[in-house]
Amino acid sequence: MSIETGLAGDMEPVAATGDAVRVEKLSISYRAGRALVPVATEVSFAIAAGQTFGLVGESGSGKSTVARTLLAKLRAGSSITGGRVLVAGQDVFGLDPARLRALRGGTVALVAQNAGQSLTPSMRVGTQIHEALTSHGLRADRADVLRALDQVRLPNVKDLARRYPHELSGGQQQRVGIAMAIAARPSVLVLDEPTTALDVVTQAAVLRLVKDLSRELQTATLIVSHDLGVVSGMADQVAVMRHGRILESRPTAKLFADPEHEYTRQLLRDVPTLGARSRAEAVAPVAGGGTNQDPEPPSGTGNQGSDVLLSCENVSISYHASGPPAVDSVDLEIRRGETLAIVGESGSGKSTLAWSLAGLTAATSGTMRVHGDTGTGGDLARPVARRSRELRQLVQLIFQNADTSLNPRRSVAAAIRRPLRLFGTVARARERGRVEELLTEVGLPASFGKRLPAQLSGGQRQRVGIARALAAAPELIIADEITTALDVSVQADILELLSGLQKSHGLSTLFISHDLAVVADVADRVMVMKNGRLLEVGDVADVFSGPNHPYTASLLAAVLEPGDLELPQSPAEEQDWIDDNPGGWLEPSPGHLIRTWKGAGNR
Amino acid sequence: MKATLRGAGPAFTIGIVLILGNVLLALLAPWISPYDPVASDSAAALQGPSGAHWLGTDMYGRDILSRTLNGGRYALQVTFLATTIAVAAGALLGCLVAYLGGWFDDVVMRVVDAILSVPTILALLVVVSVLGSGMWVIVLAVVVVYTPAVIRVVRGAARSVKSLDYVTAAKARGERAGPIVVREILPNVSDVVLVEYAMRASWVVLLISTLSFLGFGANPPAPDWGLMVAENRTALTVVPWATLGPVAALASFVIGLHLTSDGLGKRLGVDRAMTGVK
Repeated sequence: MSIETGLAGDMEPVAATGDAVRVEKLSISYRAGRALVPVATEVSFAIAAGQTFGLVGESGSGKSTVARTLLAKLRAGSSITGGRVLVAGQDVFGLDPARLRALRGGTVALVAQNAGQSLTPSMRVGTQIHEALTSHGLRADRADVLRALDQVRLPNVKDLARRYPHELSGGQQQRVGIAMAIAARPSVLVLDEPTTALDVVTQAAVLRLVKDLSRELQTATLIVSHDLGVVSGMADQVAVMRHGRILESRPTAKLFADPEHEYTRQLLRDVPTLGARSRAEAVAPVAGGGTNQDPEPPSGTGNQGSDVLLSCENVSISYHASGPPAVDSVDLEIRRGETLAIVGESGSGKSTLAWSLAGLTAATSGTMRVHGDTGTGGDLARPVARRSRELRQLVQLIFQNADTSLNPRRSVAAAIRRPLRLFGTVARARERGRVEELLTEVGLPASFGKRLPAQLSGGQRQRVGIARALAAAPELIIADEITTALDVSVQADILELLSGLQKSHGLSTLFISHDLAVVADVADRVMVMKNGRLLEVGDVADVFSGPNHPYTASLLAAVLEPGDLELPQSPAEEQDWIDDNPGGWLEPSPGHLIRTWKGAGNR
Repeated sequence: MKATLRGAGPAFTIGIVLILGNVLLALLAPWISPYDPVASDSAAALQGPSGAHWLGTDMYGRDILSRTLNGGRYALQVTFLATTIAVAAGALLGCLVAYLGGWFDDVVMRVVDAILSVPTILALLVVVSVLGSGMWVIVLAVVVVYTPAVIRVVRGAARSVKSLDYVTAAKARGERAGPIVVREILPNVSDVVLVEYAMRASWVVLLISTLSFLGFGANPPAPDWGLMVAENRTALTVVPWATLGPVAALASFVIGLHLTSDGLGKRLGVDRAMTGVK
């Protein structure tokens, strides 16, 4: 019987019945009014025990819908219009409720994108694992719970089991989610964008963990992701989906080396990559950190020439009087026409710094001076309410999530007209024409002015966001993770649009991102931040070719690119360096500054 | 608006029909009622339903059907005025309080708490005993009593809108609090405000009728649902329709409001403007 979970450790019975998972000509549609809209059309694939199968595609390609059918799950209103899903030889949609319960979590386990949300917030982590074990009829005492947590390499499991989910970091929550998923020793593991919410270092660690576990338990694994790098590192076989159809399904190495389908080629072209230049050197950090101090002033603000648009010195920002500051004594400088990128994981203070430049969070100390083209200058340390109109106009913000950055009740034209009116950029009679010009400039038809944001796609909304920022006629654009929510092909278009506009308008950009490959693509200079501190700054070429701060090196090493068939080798789980406070700066090449550090062993 | 409300379900349609029916009858009452609602006819007192008097007559011989038709005019007028003012003021203040936060939020919300802690009917009785039972006195008293509750509900909804990026974008442009509240926040809590309006209206009409029942609202011999119930309850066994008529009218109006607010809530609960479903 397929429900027997003991199979997992022993490969023989599964191999005897053939593939652990077989999806045969599966078609799914959902009902919209009277019409049936196909979500998936004749999707077929098979996964053998111990193998990993990757489904890649952009949003709306139907990849998640297909993946969840392995758990006999369909969205409300959807129905199977053809084909079947076999798990261990059984059609999952033909199971009775009792067997279905045994299937879910017992035979097939799911790790969803955001484990933090899939854990019960009011229940201790240990109790949840215990429940996951006992609900599948497994014996579970305290030692079993701790073993499950230990298996996903969480530290201090005894203490951790007593904590509540909110007391864990995102990466730890994701590990607990994986621990729960594998607790009942499933023979099939479904990973739905398992690391999308994590930073690169944690992502690499979590993926390595899943890969090792699935090899150890001989699970058949299905990984769904929009990230070609992740799938490339994890899967043995990859299928590319678009509009509910599998376009091509081939062994990973072949697919990435020689994509057959034009769409796959397009996808691979659109994925920004670090390029070959950086990989080898980046992992070798500067030797002898902490000894070789350079008395150079921190951010290389040597040339205070007229080409500097923005210069910040010693900026600190605290949300609470007590506790560590969100941004800790950061210096930065943006030259005219330049793109400066800030890279860091969530909590690094990069967004706080950007919001403070936009005047939304007041800086606790330090100076932030801007020197506009037309002689407008001023102190950006002031909150927006106390800035002059010219100063507010100078700095414009583009948001991460275009869905929430536009008022859903106001038309596109109204959104763009507002800054025109507020800053008096053009005469009232010219407003209408200017809105149409701006729409055309960001690549949208002028007729889109009448639409509501809900009638636009994600990429189109982001274009409106850009048009709204341009409407103020700014000199500095702050782009806060503007492509994170977009598909790769859309991301490529938006980045191209932005760099084009930057050239034609002579804009400077502060580009905030956690994606190193995107940064390598668009930025002139990069700043690396962690825990509110600036660790490294320099030209893109210098930073990406090294030598680097050990943190930057670990970021670079953890990057997964399409075509990399192996995951990064054992990424450092624990930070192997400690901050050298106050510390000095190393300058391996002109303008490339690295904060000194101490080896963790010296503590 | 018509497009957004399509598909709110049969409950919503029934609710709207009940409300409109009541409002229409109240508006047309002077022309469609068969008798003068205050004209007494001692010869025809306490009669059961007949061809001349469909619902019978009360102890003064007044036609119950005519009185019931006219009886909603006062209550509905006060309800409309009081609810509109209370919800408008509450929605604006609620958004403003949510947006500004800080000490302003603290002060306003403590005042709200204080008002909410006074039993509604007691507060109204005190106001009416001191200032008399003129229509505007009652309207303003109801506004004072119900605005705080609206503030609280709208504030809750506005707080989640306040942290969205389009509000942040407006702040970063340097917009003032007024335009932000009116342009960015208020339109996006309009679903909550609409549902709140229907709910409040049903409570207000009951409250007004209660006041009349207690003798503090409409004055005899004016026809009013609450007053009619008070006058005729002793004769419940003799002319049941004199009590049941106004009760049925009041109940149908309140049920209509509840069904409507339910349908609105279901239809607007998932913000269609957000999800893009038209």
